[in-house]
Amino acid sequence: MTVSNEMEKAIIESVLQELSKRGVNPAAAVEEKVKNVVTQEKTSSEVSDEIIDMPDITKHWIPEPANEEALEAMKKSTNARIGLYRAGTRQKTDSLIRFLADHAVARDAVFMDVSDEFLQKMNLFGVSCVAADKEEFLTKPNLGMKLSDEAVQTIKEKCESNIQVQIVIVDGLSSTAIERNIPDILPALTQGLKAAGIKVGTPFFVKNGRVRVMDQIGMLLNAEVVLELVGERPGLGTAESMSAYLIYKPSEKTVEADRTMISNIHRRGTPPAEAGAQIVDLVKQMLDKKASGIKLNKA
Amino acid sequence: MIHIGEAGHQKIISVGIDIGTTTTQLVMSRLTIKNSSPGAVIPKMDITDKEILYRSNIHITPINEHLLIDAHQVKKIIEAEYKLAGVKKEAVETGAVIITGETAKKGNAKNILEATAGFAGDFVVATAGVNLESILAGKGSGAAKYSKENHKIVANIDVGGGTSNIGVFKGGRTLDTACINIGGHLIELEKHSDKITYISDPARLVINDMGLQLGVGERVTQSQLIQISKKMAEAILETITKRKVAGLAQQLMMTPPLKEDYKIEKVMISGGVADYVYSDYRPVSVTDITKYGDMGPILGWAIQEAFKKEGIQLAKPAETIRATVIGAGIHSLEISGSTIHVNSGTLPLRNITVISPFPEGVPEKAADIAKLLKNQVDRITVQDITEQNLAIALKEPYDMSFNSVNELAHGIFEAMEEYITQKKPLIIVIEADCGKVLGQCLSIIAKASNELICIDQIQVDEGDYIDIGKPVMGGRVVPVVVKTLVFEKAK
Amino acid sequence: MKLKANIYNNVFTFKTVKEVLAKANEEKSGDILVGIAAGSSSERVAAKLVLSRMSLEDIYENPVIPYEEDEVTRLIYDTLNTSIYNKIKGKTVGELREYILDLETTGEDLLHISRGLTSEMIAAVAKIMSNMDLVYASKKIRPYAHCNTTIGVSGTLAFRNQPNHPTDDINGIIASMKEGLTFGSGDAVIGINPVEDNAENTAYMLKTVKEFMEKWEIPTQNCVLAHVSTQMKAMEKGAPVDLLFQSIAGTQKTNEAFGVDAALLDDALALAILQGTGTGPNVMYFETGQGSEVSLNAHCGVDEMTLESRTYGFGRKYRPFMVNNVSGFIGPETIYDGREVIRADLEDLFMGKFHGLPMGIAPCYTNHMKADQNDQEIGSMLCAMAGAYFFMGVPGGDDVMLNYQDTSYHDDATLREILGLRPLPEFEKWLEKMGLMENGRLTKKAGDPSIFDK
Repeated sequence: MTVSNEMEKAIIESVLQELSKRGVNPAAAVEEKVKNVVTQEKTSSEVSDEIIDMPDITKHWIPEPANEEALEAMKKSTNARIGLYRAGTRQKTDSLIRFLADHAVARDAVFMDVSDEFLQKMNLFGVSCVAADKEEFLTKPNLGMKLSDEAVQTIKEKCESNIQVQIVIVDGLSSTAIERNIPDILPALTQGLKAAGIKVGTPFFVKNGRVRVMDQIGMLLNAEVVLELVGERPGLGTAESMSAYLIYKPSEKTVEADRTMISNIHRRGTPPAEAGAQIVDLVKQMLDKKASGIKLNKA
Repeated sequence: MIHIGEAGHQKIISVGIDIGTTTTQLVMSRLTIKNSSPGAVIPKMDITDKEILYRSNIHITPINEHLLIDAHQVKKIIEAEYKLAGVKKEAVETGAVIITGETAKKGNAKNILEATAGFAGDFVVATAGVNLESILAGKGSGAAKYSKENHKIVANIDVGGGTSNIGVFKGGRTLDTACINIGGHLIELEKHSDKITYISDPARLVINDMGLQLGVGERVTQSQLIQISKKMAEAILETITKRKVAGLAQQLMMTPPLKEDYKIEKVMISGGVADYVYSDYRPVSVTDITKYGDMGPILGWAIQEAFKKEGIQLAKPAETIRATVIGAGIHSLEISGSTIHVNSGTLPLRNITVISPFPEGVPEKAADIAKLLKNQVDRITVQDITEQNLAIALKEPYDMSFNSVNELAHGIFEAMEEYITQKKPLIIVIEADCGKVLGQCLSIIAKASNELICIDQIQVDEGDYIDIGKPVMGGRVVPVVVKTLVFEKAK
Repeated sequence: MKLKANIYNNVFTFKTVKEVLAKANEEKSGDILVGIAAGSSSERVAAKLVLSRMSLEDIYENPVIPYEEDEVTRLIYDTLNTSIYNKIKGKTVGELREYILDLETTGEDLLHISRGLTSEMIAAVAKIMSNMDLVYASKKIRPYAHCNTTIGVSGTLAFRNQPNHPTDDINGIIASMKEGLTFGSGDAVIGINPVEDNAENTAYMLKTVKEFMEKWEIPTQNCVLAHVSTQMKAMEKGAPVDLLFQSIAGTQKTNEAFGVDAALLDDALALAILQGTGTGPNVMYFETGQGSEVSLNAHCGVDEMTLESRTYGFGRKYRPFMVNNVSGFIGPETIYDGREVIRADLEDLFMGKFHGLPMGIAPCYTNHMKADQNDQEIGSMLCAMAGAYFFMGVPGGDDVMLNYQDTSYHDDATLREILGLRPLPEFEKWLEKMGLMENGRLTKKAGDPSIFDK
């Protein structure tokens, strides 16, 4: 008898014993267990506890390069996937697998929600737009531009009106961007705005929302400036890029050119805390010049 | 206050005035400063274009005797050149005055500073350091650029009247500097004659080392001139090849020798003597050699021979004699990042001492940050530079989170409380992109009473000195000159 | 070996090689049905990462079904060339992929090391290859085979002429066959799926087709796709058989469900060699398909792609003349939509060729899955680019007996046009003689089946 058969026997015997202890009918249970045991496999090789990390694409992978230093400089100059050599005319295996990993993470960023724990930790209450779920949000943009009736109620109850600045946090196309950047940008914003003596409303979170939802919110609370922090469509591996949109006194007539936008806020773009300080300055200008978007540039 | 511009570029006139051991000259250029990310709201300022508008004549640095410089004459020279260039003082927005070489050693450096400062509007004026001279010469000659574009380590040797300044560049940055007291003017002669009119101290060392008997008023043979120039050239060569020099070369070094932990892949010669290094010139007769009354031509020839014999192929620089001046006019100007937290009226500030209190990185907690910083500040104060302003240079906070930036701000403030009571502005120079938020945190902790300069995306090191000029571009950027004082790295 | 991977701070732990193989598989509904598919994109990538770092030896030591329990495993291991295996066993799967793709590696090199690879190893490397990787690699590998025509000649693309009829009416069959021939289809085989599986019917169809071939001097092979034992009976009755056919699968249990085992196939091959009418030496024809094991609940917990690879490992012992998959044939429970079919086709083509098989593809679909004609055409074109040796040919793309859709005679001709490919050389000569082809392109006479009746 081979090892596997003896093991099986032992397992079956012990299972039978256990079952009879519990008073379970052995016969039926055995059939189920046997099926499982047969398909279970014992690994004969030695298994290590080491964890394999994702391939590192920040270094170059070129064997015997013509100029090592030039390569290092090139890699430093961009996060584009260069210098990763080739296998024939195709990518190296590690390069391909890293690409797939980055894609998986980007997809997860789009399809996952901002967690409740996160909102609690950041002391943000959450409301939803009309879009019922991610699928609807993705396929029907209009539904992400409008707050649900329940949301309108909640906002009216919990938020101050007639403030100078209303901060809104929207998941948009990347929940990961929100979870990664808000903890650093929000305190920088509130600190700076407070120090400048600006009246800031109660920040909150909007789920399944698009950029334009900020207009409705601005009108609802009669805010002078609405500052929206929203998740950008993820690139590969950069699932955490966030944009800030600002608008001065939005109305039904608001067009895209009225908005001021800062994009690529993330640790490999403009770091979130720094972006926060920049935005404080921007808000001061908007309140001073009473304009945003193209009108502000001209002022 | 930052204003958001659209294309947002500005052209400014910058002047570089180089007052050296032998010559004084001036270059005017027009710099284009552009917002290189116009689509974004956060501007990124870069110098995108450098156009040389005017090159002055090369004047002999006016001296009364070999111990004093005629500051009054220098001022006249500059006045005349401005007139020739057709540029009014007021039109010049920025630039630098660099006093180099032997001239900087002389006691009149202060007078020159005062005399020239008036021409520069709100210039930064750099008192020369041999190290700074090496850096500027290398930038002006094109060696720094070469090292960046070709990814090679390049040594630039700027052979002037009194000194040879060596700058080693890698990837466009300064890797190392050194200076040796050899130049074309160490021995002066009557023009087209073999009669010696002046022997400088370093030249005396060379002559003694060779066992020659020569004095002022005596005649010198071609063969002797050749030997002397060869000895000088070899000393220069040794600084590159041997690094740890000994004997005569060691005696002539004005700074510690070059470090040994890198390989020099290309060598460039610039400075007044360079024209002879790269030409077909050969010494024919004494009268021919001394046509300018100095050893320039023959030293140049000797350098060419020495390097050829060693098997080192010299790269040709973009500029030879003008190297240092161009360095001062254009390359001395770095632009700080577009995130500034400056209170106006405080600038310009000159000769700010740079300390680098976190060589191993910034700690996590404010208390630890304060401790490290306070140690450094105390050390500097003990060295009696209390008159100086201090700039704290660092690479980045513990991490880029808001909390870490805030901790850093608290740590800095705690350590600098005493310093601030002296009514000096708190100056932070940080490499990472967080100058604005750091400045925001600091200004809230420090309250309105104190002045704060927090600039980012600039790299400075311990031992550097910086000048910060008045803001340009509507307050968005400040010009910063990074430089090193002479004798700080004395042998 | 390491069975843990970290993908963006999510650590995934796998227990066995079998689990890694299953979870590294691209999304296939059959795996989901069995309950062995990856639970998320990240888990899938983690499995691929782990797999890429696994050595061939690790895989050798952990066959997905133990040697003692399964005939297919035994056959694969018993026919493995151990000296070639020992030379390469230290390579990782990731390194094997790069070796396959290296510009210096030729098809010859790959056919050589293939003798030292088990089917699990071949499946493993296919799992970490992208679609274009698979196309590129497949194109390189060109094992030759010969029955009456030579298949796999560089620059050629052959077709099976599949003139099925819902009631096996011989006239109907001949009519469809003529149609196909005038489009240049039939150089791989004239292969009929019979409605009734009995020896007389089979013998009759074989004889009739053979007579037609002889009358018109058509160089090709005849075949009736009844059960192999039925065909053998027909042969014993004197029916002319160029190619003996059988469906095979990747587990002993599934083959048993098909009524097949190694012993039977040994006998079939022997009979074909002794009494078959083909020149040979390659005289067998196999059909396979991802999901067959799942549909018969005989999968043993292994993913359907690895099982398909094992099918090839099983079949290569018999040195077939042609092998094709029929991966979209079963239904959405094993292969859900066009996307899954196309991926399966590329995998099968590569794995088949890498086993040294003269591989063709049937990029087909049924009407209860989410796929359509456009998907099939995409699959065909990709496989043709990848150097598939042959496709099926059914009139108008519709098989009226099997009730599924496959490549039409039109598709066959178009694929040749697009890629500048020719029929098998012997067959092309015949097409020229018939005035149907000139310089590799169809003439005006093409498409008119009545030319045989002029």
